Amino acid sequence: MKTYEVFLKRPGKDPFTHVGALEAPDDDLALSFARDCYTRRSEGDQMWVVAREDLLVADPVELEMADRPHRHNDGTLLRDLRQAGSQPAS
Amino acid sequence: MTDSAPASTHSAHEAVLALADDELCIGQNLVWWIAVGPFLEEDLALTSISQDELGHARALYGLLGDDIDALAYGRQPHEYRSAHLTELPCRDWGETLVRHFLYDTAETVRWAALADSSWDALGAVARRALAEERSHLRHASGLLSWLLRTEAGRSQLLPLFDQFVPMACELFHLPPGCSQEALLADGVMDRSLSDQRAEWQSGVDGAVASAGYQPQWPADGAATASASGRAGQRSAHFAALHAEMVEVLSIDPTAVW
Repeated sequence: MKTYEVFLKRPGKDPFTHVGALEAPDDDLALSFARDCYTRRSEGDQMWVVAREDLLVADPVELEMADRPHRHNDGTLLRDLRQAGSQPAS
Repeated sequence: MTDSAPASTHSAHEAVLALADDELCIGQNLVWWIAVGPFLEEDLALTSISQDELGHARALYGLLGDDIDALAYGRQPHEYRSAHLTELPCRDWGETLVRHFLYDTAETVRWAALADSSWDALGAVARRALAEERSHLRHASGLLSWLLRTEAGRSQLLPLFDQFVPMACELFHLPPGCSQEALLADGVMDRSLSDQRAEWQSGVDGAVASAGYQPQWPADGAATASASGRAGQRSAHFAALHAEMVEVLSIDPTAVW
């Protein structure tokens, strides 16, 4: 049995969303089981089923963030400056 | 039914009733697998398929009258027209799989012959059902082809074909008093039952040929003897199946859902 990941998209502007996984012996049965396990109540009108082994998986080390507060600008500095009626120091 | 000629009206109603009763019985029998399927995906798949089949039954009964529950649950046993194959409990998963494969292969052929029906409402039900049947068939034949690659699968499943095939032939029989000629002449159905049966038979042959197997097909005419379900005679399994279907109604006849 292979593991497959299932993605569904609802009608409209919603993006594809990961909804779960399943096990199946081949691609055809994976599609069949995915239909029966994840779309029984019309949860989506489009479905992607991907063999987990075909996914490109990033190295978690590359995703680890060092302390980079400047990438988390939440706009509060600018807001505070505006409220104080002053211009940013040049 | 306004758009098909009166000559075929009675036959069309009888044929639809037989199809509906097949779907009702097989749907009810498959429901048994809820929570006890051999693995999670299969558990959900079988019970989802059972709901599809019950949905087909509902749509077909809806063509015959407004009170669907009365039609589905309220008749006397001899008024049902189900093929005996559909009444089998099949509590062994191998039995369920082989019956499911035989039945859904047959269904795909039967619905296709009704998809362009002159009875517009029946044609619409058939086209909708056909889309679902393809998915059911993909499920059944996918699992079957994997299991027939193993010795254990072959030794358990292949004998079941010879057991079920004679009963399954009843799926291509009409109830007595139902005229195939009238159905074909008025375009209610666009293909003879013997043609349909031949296509079904070659589909079944093809699926087991890779396992070096050839089911023993009864001669075309001989199947009449095994069409007692269509004639209103119920199999030994029907009483328990029907009791389960009407369990709630027999406690509270006014129940609605």
